[in-house]
Amino acid sequence: MKTIFFTGKGGVGKSTTSCGTAFQLAELGHKVLAISFDPAHNLGDIFDVRLSHRKRKFTANLDLQEADLDRAAQDYIKRNTDILTEVYSYTKAFNIDKYFNVLRHAPGVEEYAALTALQQLLQTSGDYDYVVIDTPPTALTLRILALPRISITWIDRLRRIRSEILDKRHTVHTVTGKYVEEGTKLAYDAKEDRVMQKLKELFDRYVDVAKHLSSDANQIAVVFNPDYLSLRESQRIVEGLTDLRLPVSAAITNKYTPGLKEVADSVESELVGKISPRPRLARVPWQPYKREKAYEVGFDLASLFTPDRP
Amino acid sequence: MGNNSSEDRRPGPIRRLFATIRRGLAGLDAAHRERMTALTAYEARELENVFVLLLFGSFTGMPAPPSFIAVELLPFLEHEMRVLNRRAENASDALAELMGTLDADA
Repeated sequence: MKTIFFTGKGGVGKSTTSCGTAFQLAELGHKVLAISFDPAHNLGDIFDVRLSHRKRKFTANLDLQEADLDRAAQDYIKRNTDILTEVYSYTKAFNIDKYFNVLRHAPGVEEYAALTALQQLLQTSGDYDYVVIDTPPTALTLRILALPRISITWIDRLRRIRSEILDKRHTVHTVTGKYVEEGTKLAYDAKEDRVMQKLKELFDRYVDVAKHLSSDANQIAVVFNPDYLSLRESQRIVEGLTDLRLPVSAAITNKYTPGLKEVADSVESELVGKISPRPRLARVPWQPYKREKAYEVGFDLASLFTPDRP
Repeated sequence: MGNNSSEDRRPGPIRRLFATIRRGLAGLDAAHRERMTALTAYEARELENVFVLLLFGSFTGMPAPPSFIAVELLPFLEHEMRVLNRRAENASDALAELMGTLDADA
């Protein structure tokens, strides 16, 4: 299963190009899921169907889905609230556990929810050849893509400290024959230490996402228009992705017209010059919004992402 | 006859003396071992303190890891939270605690 993320400034045509790509890949015989992670979904508008968080079959090879990030955030909050309520179970007696609900306003919830949704998507999409992902606005996308690595770094550091704690406890146990503090028998073996087990579980959960994102199975396309405003934001995206060591595999100039050739050349060369290795390039001609079949973009986008490209 | 055999089973004074010495030595051994590991146990507690301090850094305004990590680990950190609490209580006298552990205050 390969994933293709479409990123870019708002309004450049991420959704249209991602839908076009998904449709073309499906027409070539690949099994494809087109999914939108943008809270302001317009996947359904482009395919002119009503979509929800459940997958919907559009053609024999193409499924469509709009990830419900609000629902994912609610699930995330509920999971955390359940843990807190269980730990502080006495709060139920005073009916004050409901105040944990304020967590929904905590910073970062949207990102964690999106990360969880992404992790589940990767876990459950093994049957597809391609999963084409339309992303939310740039800042949120970069934060979502950064989270697995950030989480892994933290978990790794915490595991090292925990390992040192267990080593010391083990030494005390070996010499004294016990390791008890305030009547509590403390674990000194990593296999028995529940904190270490939980850290390992979290590490495994996010390392898979991080590995996938930086592997050849993941491709990222930057979509922009032949204008300097979208160039500036695309440059920030490229810089962000480079920092995360996530390669940009395609640079797509959308809404191109021959009259804008000079600007398009300049924007394209300025952007592509910063990307290494050099991405595949495409210029999708401008076409007025079609009421029907807006996913037919009139340009071969699929070949940007398939290995047997001429 | 029965009384005699009961008296036979009672340990003699020599045996009682050895048992007392053995218990005394075991006590000394345990005390010696406790003393040997006191510093290591102290280090372990300090690391436990650092561990929760990093994990729940937002308590003290420190940059914290993504909050889901802290929440997921919370149910298993009762002991460490207690260490953190005690450490905070003794914060003004941390040197004295260390000296006590090193037996340098005698």
